Amino acid sequence: MLALRLARGAHPVVLARRLLVTAASAATGFLLLCALAYALVRPGGEAPAARLAWCLLPVAATVHLALAVARTDPGTRPRPGLSAIGLGPAKLALFAAATTALAALTGSLLALAVFLHLRGDLSGMPFDGAAAELTAAGRPLPLPAALTLLAVVPLAATATVALALRPRREPPATEKDPDAARPAPAEPPAGLPWGVTLVALGLAAETYAAGGAALPGGLGSGRGAVLAGWVIASVGLAVAGPGLTHLSGRLLQIGRPGAARLLAGRALMAEARRIGRPLGVAAAVAAVTLGGTVLFRQEAFRPFGDLTALGATLVVLCAVATLLTAAVESRQERAPTTGTLTDLGAPAALLRTTAALRAGVLLAVFLPLTWLVARLAALPLGS
Amino acid sequence: MVAPPDNDVLWARALHYSPNGSPALQGVSLGVREGEILAVSGPRGSGKTSLLRCLSGRLVPTEGEVWFHSTALHTMDRLQREKLRRESFGWIGTQPALVAELTGWENAALPLLLRGTAHRAAKSAALDWLDRLDAGDCAHQRPHRLRQDQCQRIAVARALITLPPLLFADEPTAALHRADGNQVLRTLTAAARSHRITVLLATGDPDVAALADRAVHLVDGRRTGETPYPATTGAEGRDTCSLSV
Repeated sequence: MLALRLARGAHPVVLARRLLVTAASAATGFLLLCALAYALVRPGGEAPAARLAWCLLPVAATVHLALAVARTDPGTRPRPGLSAIGLGPAKLALFAAATTALAALTGSLLALAVFLHLRGDLSGMPFDGAAAELTAAGRPLPLPAALTLLAVVPLAATATVALALRPRREPPATEKDPDAARPAPAEPPAGLPWGVTLVALGLAAETYAAGGAALPGGLGSGRGAVLAGWVIASVGLAVAGPGLTHLSGRLLQIGRPGAARLLAGRALMAEARRIGRPLGVAAAVAAVTLGGTVLFRQEAFRPFGDLTALGATLVVLCAVATLLTAAVESRQERAPTTGTLTDLGAPAALLRTTAALRAGVLLAVFLPLTWLVARLAALPLGS
Repeated sequence: MVAPPDNDVLWARALHYSPNGSPALQGVSLGVREGEILAVSGPRGSGKTSLLRCLSGRLVPTEGEVWFHSTALHTMDRLQREKLRRESFGWIGTQPALVAELTGWENAALPLLLRGTAHRAAKSAALDWLDRLDAGDCAHQRPHRLRQDQCQRIAVARALITLPPLLFADEPTAALHRADGNQVLRTLTAAARSHRITVLLATGDPDVAALADRAVHLVDGRRTGETPYPATTGAEGRDTCSLSV
């Protein structure tokens, strides 16, 4: 009940972010239901299972977004007053999970309503039964199956949020005061070598398999191996995200930096994980999308169904929304630093310059890299 | 408008400040002479911090005037006050408020870097000041590895590095143990005296106030009195300190 009460009093921007989760959950739920409808129309075979498997991507993107939104939610951050009355990190994690569950469940119900409406089961409104073929209008909908599919996103999102935000067990002596003014900065991320390795491995496997040869060690051949290599290269890009962000911060401070470059570079290094992860995921999604457009131009190879556009748009929008939410979170985390700088009389132009420098160097590093990986990954696909 | 007396660096008349209707300052008038260390003493909640924030241009008083030399702070806009703070004022708060991702010397050098001083010159000045404040070993550490008093020394170095004409210290030693606090305060006052920096020192501790040349007392946002400290007791060791720092 407290979650509902706090949700009611939240700022409109916070509510808008939660609505994003609801929308993403609704779209994903709709995609899952459409996969079910496809299976109803054409039972048996591998195609329905493959369709359901493709739905994993939107589910993952939605869960990723839900986690980012839960992290930025001011209602779920430790507050000195609430901590004093026993509403500490443990309770707040549960609270965050409850808020996420609420948003995602609303989305699932919305998806069910829209699906039934498009089937023509709920009548009396425009677009009534407009997508009868897509939604298997003629056949009865198996309710347990539909409810199970609709429960996937809320359950996955809630579990992820609860797990990710749960307080870590640490010896009492090293426990940090939630109100402490000097939080220790995170260790520099170590994912860069792994990411580079994965990208190289993926690209190599893809090129090798596209040449018609089977991968050594019986790792498969043909289209499957090409796709696997493509996925591995994209995952590598996502894994390398934090490390690349850290590196960008370091690059920004080369030489003898002035205030703007120093502050921007250090901020990037400190925020490497928070910004780098969603940035890596966004870069991976962008690379896959670029490669996918190449794949889509080929008539012979179209693993996609009618709802590809909805699924792809959903994943891209979720990645972008997650990145923007992470930027908001980073801004919230940096509020004390910004306050200190303002108190020192730092001009607003300097703060704007540091923000622009950060964004600029990230774009300068990630855009060419994403483009390169996408081109290299698309080369064997196009052949 | 009455022109301020000539020998006052900072001059305030009938300051009223009531955020959200709760009166923090109720008609405080004050003059700070050039080169003096003026303590503003009073219990918690007496309006010390509000007064210092009004005088340094971080808050705009609801009523009243603030003059710094011959410029009127209460009529300046935000950008002008920001520029004045950057160029003429230093501030030391109760908490060190260091930038977590910068090392000790970078924190101390930040005001110089903000003014566009070259990296090398800013670094040598910062290292110099940290040495003078017995914090030379903190120069290459991040704040989270340092003790509270080391952080506060860095904050003092950051405030002094530009040699501002006017330095505001808002209970700079409230969060420190007595021995550490006394040492930080002595180095601060000594450095201020040797560089002729005017200091406004808010404190709730009469012993701390005794380090100043003069103390004004605040209670419930009103000025209740003034204590001059004779040079022999108050400004203890003024000349010897000025030689060492």
